[in-house]
Amino acid sequence: MTRHSRSVAPFIAAVVAAAVGCSRPAPSTSTPGSRQGGEIVVTNRSNPSTFNRISSPGGRADDLVALLTQAKLVRINRVTWEVEPWLAESWTRSDDGLRYTLKLRPNVTFSDGEPFTSADVAFSFAAAYDDKTASPLKEALAVSGKVLGIATPDPQTVIVTFPSFFAVGLRILDNLPILPRHKLEAALKSGTFANAWNLDTPLTELAGLGPFVLSEFVRGQRIVFTRNPRYWRKDADGSPLPHLDRITMQIVPDQDAELLRLRAGQSDMSTVEMRPSDYAPLKRDAAAGTVKLIDLGDGLDAEAFWINLNPQHFAHDPRAAWIQKDELRHAISMAVSRELFVNTVYFGAGVPVFGPIAPANKKWYSAEVPHDPYDPAGARRLLASIGLVDRNGDGILEDAHNQPAHFTLVTQKGRTDRERAVEVIRDELKKIGLVVDAAPVDFGKMRQLVGSGDYDALYFGPGATDIDPAVNQDYWLSSGGAHFWDLGQTKPATDWERRIDELMARQVASPDQNERQRLFVEVQKIFAEHEPAIYFAAPRVFLATSSRVTGYTPSIIPPQLLWASDTIAVVK
Amino acid sequence: MRRLGLSFLVVVFAAAAGAPFLAPHAPDVKFSELLYAPPTLPHVVDDAGAWHAPFIYPWRLADRLEQRFEQNRSTRMPLVWLRGGRIAQSSDEARAPFLLVGADGSGRDVFARLLFGARTSLGLALVAALGATLLGGLVGGAAGYIGGIVDEALMRATDFVLVLPAIYVVLALRAVLPLVLSSGIVFVMLAAIFAVVGAPFVARGVRAIVRSERQLEYAVAARSLGAGHARLLVRHLLPAASGYVVVQLTVLVPAFIVAEATLSYVGLGFQDPIASWGAMLQEASNTRALTDFRWLLSPAAAIFLVVLGLNLVLQQSGVNPVTISSDEPLGRLRSDSHSL
Amino acid sequence: MLAFLLRRFAFAVVLVFTVSSAALILVRLAPGDYADTVAAPNASREVKDAMRARFGLNRSVAQQYGAWVADAVRLDFGRSMMYGSPVRGLVREGAINTAILAATALVAATLIGLPLGIISGSRRGLLADAIRTVSIVLLSLPPLLSSLVLLAVAAGTGWLPVGDMRSAGGAAWPLFDLLRHLIVPATALALPIAAMFERMQSQAMAEVVGQPYVLAALARGIPRARIVWRDALKPALRPAAAVYGLVVGALLSGSFAVEAVTSWPGLGVLMLDALRARDLYLVAGCAAAGSVFLAIGTIVSDVALVLIDPRAVEAG
Repeated sequence: MTRHSRSVAPFIAAVVAAAVGCSRPAPSTSTPGSRQGGEIVVTNRSNPSTFNRISSPGGRADDLVALLTQAKLVRINRVTWEVEPWLAESWTRSDDGLRYTLKLRPNVTFSDGEPFTSADVAFSFAAAYDDKTASPLKEALAVSGKVLGIATPDPQTVIVTFPSFFAVGLRILDNLPILPRHKLEAALKSGTFANAWNLDTPLTELAGLGPFVLSEFVRGQRIVFTRNPRYWRKDADGSPLPHLDRITMQIVPDQDAELLRLRAGQSDMSTVEMRPSDYAPLKRDAAAGTVKLIDLGDGLDAEAFWINLNPQHFAHDPRAAWIQKDELRHAISMAVSRELFVNTVYFGAGVPVFGPIAPANKKWYSAEVPHDPYDPAGARRLLASIGLVDRNGDGILEDAHNQPAHFTLVTQKGRTDRERAVEVIRDELKKIGLVVDAAPVDFGKMRQLVGSGDYDALYFGPGATDIDPAVNQDYWLSSGGAHFWDLGQTKPATDWERRIDELMARQVASPDQNERQRLFVEVQKIFAEHEPAIYFAAPRVFLATSSRVTGYTPSIIPPQLLWASDTIAVVK
Repeated sequence: MRRLGLSFLVVVFAAAAGAPFLAPHAPDVKFSELLYAPPTLPHVVDDAGAWHAPFIYPWRLADRLEQRFEQNRSTRMPLVWLRGGRIAQSSDEARAPFLLVGADGSGRDVFARLLFGARTSLGLALVAALGATLLGGLVGGAAGYIGGIVDEALMRATDFVLVLPAIYVVLALRAVLPLVLSSGIVFVMLAAIFAVVGAPFVARGVRAIVRSERQLEYAVAARSLGAGHARLLVRHLLPAASGYVVVQLTVLVPAFIVAEATLSYVGLGFQDPIASWGAMLQEASNTRALTDFRWLLSPAAAIFLVVLGLNLVLQQSGVNPVTISSDEPLGRLRSDSHSL
Repeated sequence: MLAFLLRRFAFAVVLVFTVSSAALILVRLAPGDYADTVAAPNASREVKDAMRARFGLNRSVAQQYGAWVADAVRLDFGRSMMYGSPVRGLVREGAINTAILAATALVAATLIGLPLGIISGSRRGLLADAIRTVSIVLLSLPPLLSSLVLLAVAAGTGWLPVGDMRSAGGAAWPLFDLLRHLIVPATALALPIAAMFERMQSQAMAEVVGQPYVLAALARGIPRARIVWRDALKPALRPAAAVYGLVVGALLSGSFAVEAVTSWPGLGVLMLDALRARDLYLVAGCAAAGSVFLAIGTIVSDVALVLIDPRAVEAG
């Protein structure tokens, strides 16, 4: 057995060094103890849908509640992107790499005083894997569709057995919050776990291992988190964490209202980045010393445009002759000037992006992957090759039946950057004769459209939670839940999707990092050849906090600050 | 005062009618280097104090992220007149366009959008107000003239519409409609909704007038002379309500213009390439428009001009705007657009 | 009078029933349901069907509507799907919050609008013109914009809280805290209504002041102010009284824009959220509450008119 334990890194320092792309503000180094106490107000745009992260259908507010009130066995550091011991203090791996033996941190108790043991871990896995729970985490906690084996030989030990060799190993455990068995076992047994810990549950019924506990929830208005005095983590200097006594999360759906509150000093931060269009007023405030403006550099997540590739959707549509062809997507990619896109959508604060792996993902980005040049004339030629030509000289392309080439592009209403992006795409495609009807819809409606596959094309930012492709397989695999352009494939719909499936299966099963890199470049090349999703630009990420917030370690992905909430403090 | 009001209205309607001639650009032309560019006001004196034919100083993008522009004082861009069927343009439209009221967030000429938006917004408001008075006049006229069970039924129906939380119904309706609605359909739909919501107020007033007029001597005389019911109603009784109807029209028009802005908030307004005052105000509803890009609020000024014009004309016209129901539509729609 | 009231009441019941039913059925018939908007896009059919079964969405429209009506007559409006709690409590909470806001706005609008209208209607000159101009400006602004302006002012000066109904950490004087939070949204709501009242009152006043009896009184040397405030005021108040009920109803049925921008947890935003999530029963509950308020508004308005002018009973 190879010893494979990692040191408990005082990650704050590491974080600062491992910049993803730009300078970071160094966390202040005040004397220990002085950071204790205080409270902050954060604004979030959406309401939680449940307090049960395992049964949650996903959503930022649900994630935040889990981040603040629950803990996982291991944590992916969202700055260094390394796996850190969390509830599991250390682990060993069997020689074949399939079996991990995790030692749990001793003397850890839930916020209600019950001790934390391996039974809670086994319970949480069982809950996530239970079919009645229908947890979206199930897919994330499985390898090639097979679940992990969990054994608990004693209260302090958990043995995790992978069904096959998995390159990133414990990394996927970052997905699972450990919930208290003593509170929820009855619900799981009676088959009502999916509805347990809903928003109507008395807050005293909840318990967790996270830095905070839910102390007040007012629907549509605010969620108050207070310090969990039983939280197990200590600061580097041995002082107890979390520093803050209280975090009040206000629900502010309107982005302008969110900005106003921050600028008026009535909130300390948003849970996510600020819009590039908010940069100018924030910069003025920063110059006046009322806010801190943090530039995190180019983002990891570019937003994606995709045509519905589910063959069913266009089965009885004359557009089937051209709309799902590779040529159309390449033509679209070639027709949209990325420079114009960055300048118009993000006011210049961004970089052109040509695939799902943005250059900021230094570890997995490859310059070898070819990309479409900006070439509207070439785009027109490509379109002509699939039968789209301007037959009557009106500037709009027609198909073989003399019908104008058009499609509807759905995006999320109320997100100004997405609405602007769709506007640019529409204008650029109009220049090559494609008609795009923009349809901004509410988030829920968009979700419904994606789920039902009842749309022509969509523009959205799927957003990944990790940089490693092995953790984002739901995007790459044809059967994956984030394989948005053609969801719910039982077997690969196309030959290239089958090839990507195969390459990814090898990629995640390879113990050799170089081999994994090489295979992933292959995957990206196939992706670029068929371009099922088109990427245009990754915005620069700006954060803003009130000037009194300190001790944060900003990540490039949301929630940029609250992912590590226990070390956040306020200057008094 | 009445002249002043009338001249306001004439200016606005002339501007709407002459939009293609008066606007330096089409309303959907985008200057991608001039997002949120401030107005380029015409000058006649340069920095050295020399007089020139009207010219503008072009904007230079100083900081794209902060949308900061600097005036290039060293270059004078003379305005050219009557080129390409437009009254005034800059001599180099591609690089230094003439933006009399600045540019919006997509780099479009706000002035051009104001002019073209006037066509959409005023057109919609007029059509809807006409529809409301027509519908209301007919319903009210019929109810007042026939009386009895018809009166009761029609009045209950108008009451129903009156107290219907219209916005809830509109919202629910939007969910059933297809994702993309063509601007023609939006126009017809908004006009229909506004007409139906506005009609009850007209109907109530017209009914009251017709009821009282019916008893008057001239109506009795006309009937005894053998005038048919339809003739009596259309030729004698409805004209008596015409003053009231004119007042209604002038009150409904501004309320409808503002209501269109609110409906675009819930996805029932005109979609992007079509310019309308309501949609423009919707776009201007952000904090930066208030502090940094105040010219985006110009549609509110345009609506103000129209409302003021109507008020001034009305006040001195001898048409008495003070009947109980004459102000109801305004109240109803104002508070309705509030409930949005 | 009693028969009149009863008739009005019966009408209100029909209205509330129709509106909430229409809302429920419209939302039910629109493509997609709660399970679609909430479940992860890749959720399997079984998962979504289980969800639908949990909320009774797997029944036919008629069955579901029937069950809802059967419960609704017992004042049980079902459970909200997204919040998991009974619709009745949620709607009551939203309605109370909206009522607080609406009442404040109405009082403010009345106290500002009517006196200004009396002043601008009973005299001519600069002051009257200024009042009128301000009113027209306020009438030209959509509520979304005016509430943002006020919010920006509150943020800029730092005197007032930017949104919400209560301070996050609680406050020493809860009532005072509530009042502070009320100022921005209530003003945003009140200003255009005040402007409307002003215009109406001004015109009514102008008409009354032009009446022969007022002119005669003036000729007899009775002080102008006394005539205006004592004799002319009462008849001039009628138009305002007539629309009052409608304004009350419309205000109470929720104010989306103002509530959304100022994060006021009222009926309007509750309805908007419910519609977005396709939370059927909550939509129906909100629509019912909104129409109840509107119906109350009209009844109040009608009763007021009857009290002023008993002939209105006959006129309906």
